[in-house]
Amino acid sequence: MKKQIAKRIAELIVILIVLSFLTFLLMYLAPGDPAEKRLSSQGVAVTKEVLQAEQERMGLLRPFMVRYGEWFGGILHGDWGVSFKDDMPVAPKLAAGLKNTTILALASLIISLIVSVPLGIASAVKKNSILDHIVRLLSFIGNALPNFLISVLLMYFLCIQLNLFPVVASGSVQGLCLPALSLAIPMAGRFTRQIRTETMEQLEQEYVTGLRTRGVREKDILIHNVFHNASGHIFTIVALQIGTLMGGSVVIETIFRWPGIGKLVMDSINARDYPTIMGFVLIMGTIYVVINFISDVLYHVLDPRV
Amino acid sequence: MKKKLVVLFLAICMTLSMAACGSKDGGSADGSGSGDNILRTAASFAYPSLDVHKEYYGWYTSIYGLSEALFKFDENAVAVDCLAEDAVADGTTWTITLKDGVCFSNGDPLTPDMVIKNIQRLAKVNERFAYMGDFDWKADGDNKIVVNTGKDVYPMLKNDLASPECGMIDLDATTDFDKDPICTGPFVITEFNPEGDVTVARNDKYWGGDVKLDGAVFYYMQEDDPKLMAMQSGEIDCYNSVSSGALEVYEKDPDKYHVESVAGTRLQYYILNENRLDDAVREAINLTVDKEAIADYLKGTVSAANSPYPDSTAYSKVSIPAVDTEKAKKLLEEDGYTLNSEGIYEKDGQPLKVNIAYYAARSLDTLAVLMQEQLKAVGIDSYLTVEEDPDSTYIATADFDIALYCMISDKCGDPQYFIDSTLADGAYYNVGGFESAECEEMIQQLRTEVDPDKRADLANKIIQIAIDDNAFGYVGLFNHTTVMKPGVSGFAEKIPFDFYGIDANTVK
Repeated sequence: MKKQIAKRIAELIVILIVLSFLTFLLMYLAPGDPAEKRLSSQGVAVTKEVLQAEQERMGLLRPFMVRYGEWFGGILHGDWGVSFKDDMPVAPKLAAGLKNTTILALASLIISLIVSVPLGIASAVKKNSILDHIVRLLSFIGNALPNFLISVLLMYFLCIQLNLFPVVASGSVQGLCLPALSLAIPMAGRFTRQIRTETMEQLEQEYVTGLRTRGVREKDILIHNVFHNASGHIFTIVALQIGTLMGGSVVIETIFRWPGIGKLVMDSINARDYPTIMGFVLIMGTIYVVINFISDVLYHVLDPRV
Repeated sequence: MKKKLVVLFLAICMTLSMAACGSKDGGSADGSGSGDNILRTAASFAYPSLDVHKEYYGWYTSIYGLSEALFKFDENAVAVDCLAEDAVADGTTWTITLKDGVCFSNGDPLTPDMVIKNIQRLAKVNERFAYMGDFDWKADGDNKIVVNTGKDVYPMLKNDLASPECGMIDLDATTDFDKDPICTGPFVITEFNPEGDVTVARNDKYWGGDVKLDGAVFYYMQEDDPKLMAMQSGEIDCYNSVSSGALEVYEKDPDKYHVESVAGTRLQYYILNENRLDDAVREAINLTVDKEAIADYLKGTVSAANSPYPDSTAYSKVSIPAVDTEKAKKLLEEDGYTLNSEGIYEKDGQPLKVNIAYYAARSLDTLAVLMQEQLKAVGIDSYLTVEEDPDSTYIATADFDIALYCMISDKCGDPQYFIDSTLADGAYYNVGGFESAECEEMIQQLRTEVDPDKRADLANKIIQIAIDDNAFGYVGLFNHTTVMKPGVSGFAEKIPFDFYGIDANTVK
């Protein structure tokens, strides 16, 4: 195991170096000037002299490798730099965004698992029944609806029609409910279908027929055998979803005023705020590698044959 | 039985969680609003700092009613008195007279020395105002400041000093410029969430007299739909930058919502490339583009522009030829174009096909499509090129036939900035080959003319030359549209600038 961890850490370092260099290069080549974006953020045109002075102050006129080297050196010393958008330190911004995104991701994941695990199993067990048809239809609809539509519909019905939530809410438990639900609905749709398929595959295995012949109760077969054997695949799906969720959801964060990392990064891209984008890329690269590693380990624990 | 208990337990959990999620931040969940004297509104932008002098943060401290500049703009975009009574120019020397009794929210008086320190700080921390550091600022007695602008006359100083970035901060007493600047405005900060919501309370020591509101909350809401729903649920009392979709809803219910709309200063326009399009084609294009139809299509978010500036200004008095598609066709035919079998004009076997470059913001994508349709109707074919960043692409390279752009045309109640940016020789946005010696001569005069009437006259003549040359097409000015509950007023609803919000006279 120690060897595996060391190998993964070495891989992570290489991945992050390559990733950061490529991202820096792409941003350098992409059209758009952070100084111009900053000075004209309200639509006011600036003169060439003012623009050049700002570019110089922001260090944008230096060669590519000098800028990358300086940024990389800073990272090695724990300095993530300051935002091109507003000169504020990047690290606290990313930390706050990441914290909020993690809370939202976990809440939505829990909701979607609470819904999808029983529905997926029930749908598989009662294959082709009315329940199965209803579950499949709902999961299809949930999966097909775009996030912004779900968000607006939830807001309209729960806030305006039923008065259960305020429209203007953020930061606390009440602010978490609707965005978490908006993220959870399509996710639950996907999970339900995948759990149903996985459960059905297991139910068709010979060991299930054997257990039934030996008189083992259906409930015990489902819980102790079928679900246990299916859980490895389910965990992989969930782990991959966590990676996506941690990237944040711009639409949901914007509609529900949830200050997550998705909106932060989208704003940074629009402003060509390279230090913030670079910080985000490093974080996301690390999260993906770590989650993949944890997923592999747990997969192995759940199914030692792998 | 066991199943029923589980269902009951889950139902209780859900009810409790919903109750826990009830109301806290945003007023009541029952949508009844509140009976207090606190104005609740939505802000489309939020910033990480309240430092008046940095970036554009001063726009927001002004909207929040925290900061004030020496002058402010009225409904006609004229700089009028605020912290200062007047500013009088005599050649390169300006004399500014401060009002008596102006003080900061901590009670400290605003002195000429403090004004000078503020301007020096602004010049240091904000590149757009760095030029102010080159002027010589001197206090003269208890209430006067004498400014020498060097060897050149600088006629725009009074207007520039009305910019919200020139708001006054008590530099001696302020300890946290980002979160709690001590200013002169009718409100003081009580809660500031960087890039989030802002809460202000009445400044009990306001120098300008009674402040009608007890306070205000600015919820950071970027999206249109939540703003509409928050207005419908009664959680907010007003907001501006109303979208066309929401506007339709509000206009259907005038008893519940009061809408005010004035043409703002954000201009949609296009540049015609004189190096690629001959005179007849440019004129034909300008005679074809129907800005009224475009404004109708954009449903109240834009007013058709008669000049780059709002009609209320003295420097918007120019004449633009009316839409005349028959004349446009005649012009093309006189220029040697003939209609081909597809209904497109062609000359020497080449169809007349122009490139329209645009970027997908400020409704320019819609404008591009509408222009394409209108041009096609008279026989001018076109194709669209979309760029994400116009300044570093088609504006920088001049690789276009028609370039769409959107910018603020009037940032300080004066025409010079837009003329300098788009019409002067070598200007960054003069990329379509527009040149006029007469125009350039008048621009030079404008740069030194102090008298506002003569400045307006010069500006009108300069813009008229550009219009007559068919160098540009001024399409629309975004409306400054505000929706308010009945009883709410004084939310800068009649002022064309984006940087005003609540003041001492705002009522709920």
